[in-house]
Amino acid sequence: MAAKSSVGNRVFRTLASVKTGIILLIILGVVAAAGTLILQRPMTDADQMTRAYAPQTLRWLDRTGLTDVYHSWWFALLMAALGVSIVFASIDRFPKAWRLVSRPYRRPEPHFRAVLPMQRSLAISHAEAGITAAEKAFRNAGLKPQRTVENNQTAVYAEKNRWSPLAVYVVHASLLLILTGGIVDAFLGYKGYLMLTPGQSTSKLEQQNGVTRPLPFTLRCDGTGQENYPDGTPKKWWSKLTVIEDGRVVLRKEIVVNDPLVTHGIRFYQSGYGQTGEVESLLLNATAKGETRQITLRPYQAAQLDADTKVALAEFIPDFVMRDGQVYARSKDPVNPAIRLAITNTAKQAKSEVWLFPALHQQSGNSPFQFEFADLQMAAYTGLQVSHEPGQWLVWAGCVLMAVGLVMAFYLVHQRFWAIAVETKNGPALWIGTAADKNREHYEESFTKFVEDIRADLARQDEESVPAGKRLVQA
Amino acid sequence: MSRATASIERHPASSNNGLLIGVALGMAFLTFMAFLSVVKQGNLFNESNLLYLALIFYGGASALYIGFGVTGVERYVKFASIATAIGFAANTLAAGHRWYIAGRPPFANIYEMLLSFVWTVALLTLVAERKYKVKVIGTVTMPLAVTGVILMQLLPSAVHPLVPALQSTWLQVHVTLAMLAYAACALSFALAMMFLIRDQMKTETFLAVTSGMVTAIYLGIMTRFEKWGGLAVSAWDAQNKEEIFIQKGVRLMVTIPDLGWILLLVLLASVVPLAIYGMAKWRKRENFLTAANRAVFIGIALQVIALGGFILRTRGAAYASPDADGLYPTALAASPFILSGLITAIFASLLYLMLYWRRAGLERLLPNADALDRITYKTIGIAFPLLTAMIAVGAYWANQTWGSYWSWDPKETWAAITWLVYAGYLHMRITRGWRGRRAAYFAILGFAVVMFTFFGVTYLLPGLHAYA
Repeated sequence: MAAKSSVGNRVFRTLASVKTGIILLIILGVVAAAGTLILQRPMTDADQMTRAYAPQTLRWLDRTGLTDVYHSWWFALLMAALGVSIVFASIDRFPKAWRLVSRPYRRPEPHFRAVLPMQRSLAISHAEAGITAAEKAFRNAGLKPQRTVENNQTAVYAEKNRWSPLAVYVVHASLLLILTGGIVDAFLGYKGYLMLTPGQSTSKLEQQNGVTRPLPFTLRCDGTGQENYPDGTPKKWWSKLTVIEDGRVVLRKEIVVNDPLVTHGIRFYQSGYGQTGEVESLLLNATAKGETRQITLRPYQAAQLDADTKVALAEFIPDFVMRDGQVYARSKDPVNPAIRLAITNTAKQAKSEVWLFPALHQQSGNSPFQFEFADLQMAAYTGLQVSHEPGQWLVWAGCVLMAVGLVMAFYLVHQRFWAIAVETKNGPALWIGTAADKNREHYEESFTKFVEDIRADLARQDEESVPAGKRLVQA
Repeated sequence: MSRATASIERHPASSNNGLLIGVALGMAFLTFMAFLSVVKQGNLFNESNLLYLALIFYGGASALYIGFGVTGVERYVKFASIATAIGFAANTLAAGHRWYIAGRPPFANIYEMLLSFVWTVALLTLVAERKYKVKVIGTVTMPLAVTGVILMQLLPSAVHPLVPALQSTWLQVHVTLAMLAYAACALSFALAMMFLIRDQMKTETFLAVTSGMVTAIYLGIMTRFEKWGGLAVSAWDAQNKEEIFIQKGVRLMVTIPDLGWILLLVLLASVVPLAIYGMAKWRKRENFLTAANRAVFIGIALQVIALGGFILRTRGAAYASPDADGLYPTALAASPFILSGLITAIFASLLYLMLYWRRAGLERLLPNADALDRITYKTIGIAFPLLTAMIAVGAYWANQTWGSYWSWDPKETWAAITWLVYAGYLHMRITRGWRGRRAAYFAILGFAVVMFTFFGVTYLLPGLHAYA
């Protein structure tokens, strides 16, 4: 039984030690660095990976998880070990630190007085005068003096920023909060990408890992666009989004980069914008028998040409190229469009087809109508980064807490003051001492000044306590 | 020889004034020449003129600080300090002018970051000098500022509007914090070096470290060595002031013939002192060290030739490329990495020379080792919370922009590694009571990681932070 507890104790001690913490920090640093030097799967194309590494090397890298360091089990284990090390170190040291804060060392014993670096002794007429002067000086410095009497000896204690020694626990707690936030997001969070064109809506999300997840609402895109600077570089991408629940519109927002839509804890970020290669609307001038008429064509919608002729957009190739008698699209930019129109004559029950090549001013096919290209609106899509990160609030709370902790740790100095009336061989004296947990040189100066103030006060007291007549005699 | 030394000692005033007058005349001459050309252009108050003014004064300050470092004449510091202050004022106006023109703080690209970085370095130098009385700090920081301003002249400086992802207040906060944190890290590095000097670290150790660093830099540059002594550099589109890309992420490289041989020669020359140092340690022969120091002189001479060759051959010349037909121009701005490497190596070697010649004088100028150790710690006490805040704000911004507060992109990861290094330093110092040498080594390591995060990641590792 005893042996068992000593093993547990040893494990605890090892994990709680600063050495373990430092070793973990070093290992984490090294593997994190390795992850930036070796190509990582989530950020690299598969064929780029095969080009960069020999097959055998790549197999080995994959098996060890070095191609996805930050999501590997051993990286998670290292983080967990760091978390455990922080917790154990805190459990190990906190009680002692707490004792020091809750029950401060109020009475400077002789052995303590012997070794304290910052201390002075002032000659006083009697104990009470010295203690009163010290208390007054403490109060003037904005401190609350606490008086203790033991064995007829009076001591005064005061302190400043008494909580500052606990700052390191605040910082460590904040780190744990951030780690917890990360873990919560690893298990409960998800990310995905949506591509919507104006008018389109969805209530499903394809996640990064390929799984499709239903959304508790329907998201509709009401429009998207790009604004440019005069020099042509993009200035702004925007999308108008509408959230629909049970057929009712509950939220509308125009999102831009840096300003997402948030609903049900899910965030929609403007992250991409581009051309679908599809037509939104096509404006044509149709001429037959000397009569010209302007028609607007949209996908899947027929337009009336005359009383019994209809025309529909059958196919649109934004940038066509002929190869082996076939029509191919070279790009999604409408630089050299080919337009196929389906014309139906309801009276004659006849169908015909027309190809238009606006860039070449050509029309092929059999139709009494002469079509002339007037205007074209291409459909754009908006790319939305979707993320659900319930743990982020823990992360932000951790960041704020860490800021508080670091300010406490570096800039709030725990300073303690003691004053005690002692008997020396030259008569009664007031012993004053101070200790600061950082920035000692600075406090050496202020302590000297502090002591000088008490000395001056004592001198004044002495003068006042001496009767006027005596003073004259002395003079 | 001895008579000359004696006469200098007898008339210190005249020799002091020599440098002062020289620097003042140089600065006046350059300012006058600049003024003439400005009058011809008719546009007095603009950013490039202000920057030029800042450069002149920072240059003058550097000369005086180095003069102070070498001779120990206190009076130089006073004038150096004034020159720094004037340069700083011009720098502030230049940054302010850019801010005014762009309608946003100047942090959007590497040119503007350098502008802000130089500004911070000059500010911290003045603060360190006035508040902490570390007078010799300018010897290190002002040449750094000058290098920064020169590098800026080579980078594209047109005010670009912000791409959408950068249109956020958090960006300004993030970058300001980064600049402040990195400048504090730079200061802690300089202080740690001074500590090592004051702590009686042997001069030959500095020799080994300096040669090692120069060797590492030239080894890095040698990765660009091509067949038959060529040096591969990026092609440069002078009209648009940008690199030429074959496809996304793949730069068009051109080969400068023969330059590789010179650089290889310098590499060998920088290994020589290191080798002799090793021999001296192994055979325990102190007299070898004199030879090692001679080798350093030769190395510096060769480095200067290499730098000159590099500058001359990259400016306004076109070279063939192994990847495409025809000749393509290149420019200094296309190889900021090589250029900073070459300049850093020369600068480090010169600092070593200063130490070698004037060790005793330098030590007298520095505060005592304990004080330096404490100030180093205090500087890191400033840098660490700034680093933390910088990372936190960056995470918040990333969350606003990319929908994820942490995505392990190289810059993020290296910022975290920097944070880990300084966290390690603080633990060792506070709980293990590490003082002195070991703490100084840690501070130096921390700054090396910072430099890699700032330059290395930007140029070597691809990632989301591509615009910085």
